[in-house]
Amino acid sequence: MTAELRAVIAELLDLDADAVTDFGLLVPADSHLALAETLQTHGYTAYVTVVATHFPQAKATKKNPEPDPACIEVATVLRRPAKGTSLTFSWRVRVPEDGAVDSLVALFAGADWQEREQFDLVGVGFDGHPDLRRLMMPDDWPGHPLRRDYAIETAHHPWR
Amino acid sequence: MAVKGDRPNFEASLLQRVLSVPGLDVAVGTLDKLLDWGSSNSLWIFPMATSCCGIEFMAAAASRVDLDRMGTIVRASPRHGDVMVVAGTITVKMAPRVRKLWDQMPEPKWCIAMGSCAISGDFYRDIYSVVPGIDTFVPVDVYVPGCPPNPTELMAGLRRLQDKINAQRDGTWVEPEVRPPEGPGIRPNIGRLDDPFRDPALTDAQLQASRNLGLNGNEHRSADAAQGRLVDRDKLRIGTHVAVAARPAPAATPSPEREPAPAPAPDSEVP
Repeated sequence: MTAELRAVIAELLDLDADAVTDFGLLVPADSHLALAETLQTHGYTAYVTVVATHFPQAKATKKNPEPDPACIEVATVLRRPAKGTSLTFSWRVRVPEDGAVDSLVALFAGADWQEREQFDLVGVGFDGHPDLRRLMMPDDWPGHPLRRDYAIETAHHPWR
Repeated sequence: MAVKGDRPNFEASLLQRVLSVPGLDVAVGTLDKLLDWGSSNSLWIFPMATSCCGIEFMAAAASRVDLDRMGTIVRASPRHGDVMVVAGTITVKMAPRVRKLWDQMPEPKWCIAMGSCAISGDFYRDIYSVVPGIDTFVPVDVYVPGCPPNPTELMAGLRRLQDKINAQRDGTWVEPEVRPPEGPGIRPNIGRLDDPFRDPALTDAQLQASRNLGLNGNEHRSADAAQGRLVDRDKLRIGTHVAVAARPAPAATPSPEREPAPAPAPDSEVP
């Protein structure tokens, strides 16, 4: 990450320039699309992946009396395939369990099926996705299998 | 057809006239046998290979275990197939497609469940998206257990199917095959490291083989040869018992099963 890009991102996210890292930066959900757009104009043109992770509601303990509410973390990875050097930028966005993040399909066409996959398995929505259907599971499948609270023993099909 | 009065003479119907031709029953019987012989020796396979059993299926169709010898030709179209060989795990999303392709096959048709995944789902049985056995939605004629089964076992399954076709054409009732019980027979026939039935000679042989690999294998090989521990690589085929040469003085050495692979020599460089 160049110093110029670091300054631009710091200004965009209203952060200190030192706080901007190119690995796992936690970004507010409303800056998701703007950050991706900025990165694309700075040469990060390759869409590598999007990974959504479900974090269920944790139990309150003595150490942590007020745990964070259940959320889904969406991590996006972009790559800058420049000559001689190849840089990667990844950031995370937290949304509530039934929430949605902005879709990046308008910027990266390759995001289409990857976002469909995350929607299918984890159940996070993507605002602005042109065709948000299930990708892997059958269309009538109940639930999202990669959620932590997905019950494996549930009889969800005639075969089971 | 002669008409007697206003009633047709059913006694002299065309079918009876044909059947009264002398020697016809013998000819029909012979033709039936010919049809039987032809259909059991031209079992064209429609492969439904979804995973590793498909590789064994390809090996069965290749030159060593040559399925073509028994007239079994692999065609990638359900409309050409007599036998559907389901080789691999079938998921819940895949199952309606398999059923659709099965329905597209012309009669007479048969189905072979090849491998433990197709038979019962085996390792993946408890996964939310896996069908526990294809006989839940397709009638299975022959079960070929194994994980994956040998090509020869698939050929034996085809022979069983041939016997079944012959017997059914003769009018004999054939007891349908039942799904093999789950047990050690369905598990991989090579024991894992902790399994009691694992051959310790196999562990030895694999350790030797891993030591013999790599850039600096020559030193290990020469050291092993000096101590009489060299294993012939050709004997390392899976499923055969490897005869390891007797080791000198096994007294103070730790158990070879738990012995970690030796560290590579410092001068070795992995590219």
